[in-house]
Amino acid sequence: MGIRLLLIGLSTERIVFRRTVCKLSLNYLGFCQMTTQIFNTDKALGFAMRTTVLLIWKELLHRKGSFFLAASVLTAAVALCVVVTITEDANQRETRRVTRDIGFNLRIIPRGTDMEEFYLSNYSDQTMPESSLDKLARMKNFSYNHLVASLQKRFLIEGHRVLLMGISGEQAPPGKKKPPMIFSVEPGTLHVGFEAARLLGVKKGDAIALGEKTMRVARAMPEMGTVDDIRVIGLLSDVQEVLGLKGQINEIKAIDCLCMTADKNPQGILQEQLQQTLPEARVVMQSSIAEARARQRQTSEKYAAFVLAAVLLVGAVWIGALAVVNVRQRFGEIGLLRSLGYGSQMIGSLVLGRAVLIGLISALLGYFLGTWLALAWGPEIFPVTAKAIRAMPSLLPWALFVTPLLAAVASLIPAAMAVTQDPAEVLRNQ
Amino acid sequence: MPPTILLTNVSKHYLMPRGRRVVGLDKVSLSVEAGQFVLVEGPSGSGKTTLLLTVGGMQRPSSGQVTVAGYDLIALSHSKRAKFRAEHLGFVFQMFHLVPYLNVLENICLGAGRKSDAKAQARVLVDRLGLADRWQHKPSRLSVGECQRTALARALIARPEVILADEPTGNLDPENTNRVLEVLASYCDEGGSVLLVTHGQEAYGHVDRRLRLENGRLTELKLEG
Ligand SMILES: Nc1ncnc2c1ncn2[C@@H]1O[C@H](COP(=O)(O)OP(=O)(O)OP(=O)(O)O)[C@@H](O)[C@H]1O
Ligand SMILES: [Mg+2]
Repeated sequence: MGIRLLLIGLSTERIVFRRTVCKLSLNYLGFCQMTTQIFNTDKALGFAMRTTVLLIWKELLHRKGSFFLAASVLTAAVALCVVVTITEDANQRETRRVTRDIGFNLRIIPRGTDMEEFYLSNYSDQTMPESSLDKLARMKNFSYNHLVASLQKRFLIEGHRVLLMGISGEQAPPGKKKPPMIFSVEPGTLHVGFEAARLLGVKKGDAIALGEKTMRVARAMPEMGTVDDIRVIGLLSDVQEVLGLKGQINEIKAIDCLCMTADKNPQGILQEQLQQTLPEARVVMQSSIAEARARQRQTSEKYAAFVLAAVLLVGAVWIGALAVVNVRQRFGEIGLLRSLGYGSQMIGSLVLGRAVLIGLISALLGYFLGTWLALAWGPEIFPVTAKAIRAMPSLLPWALFVTPLLAAVASLIPAAMAVTQDPAEVLRNQ
Repeated sequence: MPPTILLTNVSKHYLMPRGRRVVGLDKVSLSVEAGQFVLVEGPSGSGKTTLLLTVGGMQRPSSGQVTVAGYDLIALSHSKRAKFRAEHLGFVFQMFHLVPYLNVLENICLGAGRKSDAKAQARVLVDRLGLADRWQHKPSRLSVGECQRTALARALIARPEVILADEPTGNLDPENTNRVLEVLASYCDEGGSVLLVTHGQEAYGHVDRRLRLENGRLTELKLEG
């Protein structure tokens, strides 16, 4: 027990003191029990209980300064925790949105694909029916954000080799309306990659003959430094017509939420699910992207947890220190109560009860302050998903539970100080 | 009837660094009957406070026997001694030691422990000690005389067998001093025992016995007049 280590070498009374700290931790439970007994019919106990509560309450009101200080520290800590929790949520959302632009997580390709060829050419040599896209989209436990079907093949235009690619309209999960992640292509038009445009000598507005079909260049892309530079992209149906592969595709790209869980083998799970609904397909995960995303998310979560822990620790140390000051201040008062025969349980309850009360008040104030701060500043920090930042009422019960507990634990040492204080000293130090 | 306070050969030594010993009490034997008002005097450092702490069960003597109100204090555990204090002892201090954030009535009730008729008892005492129009005030708004009377009421409320008073009149003017002594005397008339530590001679007219402590040794003096 860490607290006990702290105590080693404190004073000649340290053994009593250490025993007291342990006893007091049990005492906290006792205190909670006692509080519920305020209205107990047992008169004597009720009286002692009422005396304790009266003393705690009046002391708080009397020493407003130290009450205010302790409550401020704890309120600030709670508020900070609430802010961090709410904004970490926002941060996750924002990150998901921002990293979405990095690319796709999953490539779903025809089952019979020659993988050697697939990696060499970057597309599958097999095709599957376009209807696979709908089947995938309707699959029950397949969670995704975006699906795009494509048909891609090497193609010769005026003697130059390019990658001709047709893409379908983007499919969002049912009930969800998401803005498209990639550009949409108009029928009869092409988006030409930088290198392809250079080779073909075309610019926006020019016409290109693809076999028997003539199409217009809607856009000449800037240099990307990737395979995109030799891509010529058109609408799926146009490209199917050009390649003579009506109703066929050779890839579906997907962003799948599953990839972002810490789960060991999302690919395996997906593979299994696909087996039943989409026997014609297999899934390839672009693990570097998925991993980077998962790692980024975990880092962010860890960081938030670290900040929370640090804030709580600092808050606890402060509360403990302030409680020590308070107990010192009440030297005479505590000695008097002991000389009047008040037992350790009551003296300990005075200190712990005070901490619990401050904890409850701070939890309430801190929750509302933190929520207000997060709602006020969150949208500026996370502009893209600003609308999704909301109060988290579930934090309130947590705050009301954790804060008083933390304050009480932090006050164990001062409570032990109070309990072990020698009443004889009061008589002496007149 | 057995004596309320019975000390037999009680010694108290304080151990100082480097093995030095300070004498607090030196083989003190004392017997106080119920109803006796006993004055303890002596120079500073002679052991007067030590004597009160020992009788009050707040300090274990180095040797000897201490019996108060029928309880062998040396045999009692820490918590039993606290309970004993609450039920059988009253303390009055020179500095009153009132709780600053409680009013007169609440301060008095603190002395009642778990007795449930505390409020009613406290009101009786408030009237008796002339604090009737002051009971709602906090200590900071009381005169020192009123503070000490409040502390007295706090000591009396549990109707203890023994009241231990350490220079209770040290900060008071003659009139208030007299008032406090009268209250203590009437408490003895009702059967209580008082150990009063004081320097002045004002108490001579009220007490039944005079004791003198010097270097921890107790001697009984004759009561003049
Ligand atoms: N905790 C202690 N440690 C060491 N010595 C002590 C302690 N308490 C008291 N003494 C010593 O014991 C002796 C008796 O002290 P005590 O307080 O009983 O005297 P007193 O008669 O009440 O003095 P005063 O009139 O000044 O209050 C003194 O010499 C004092 O220094
Ligand atoms: Mg003294």
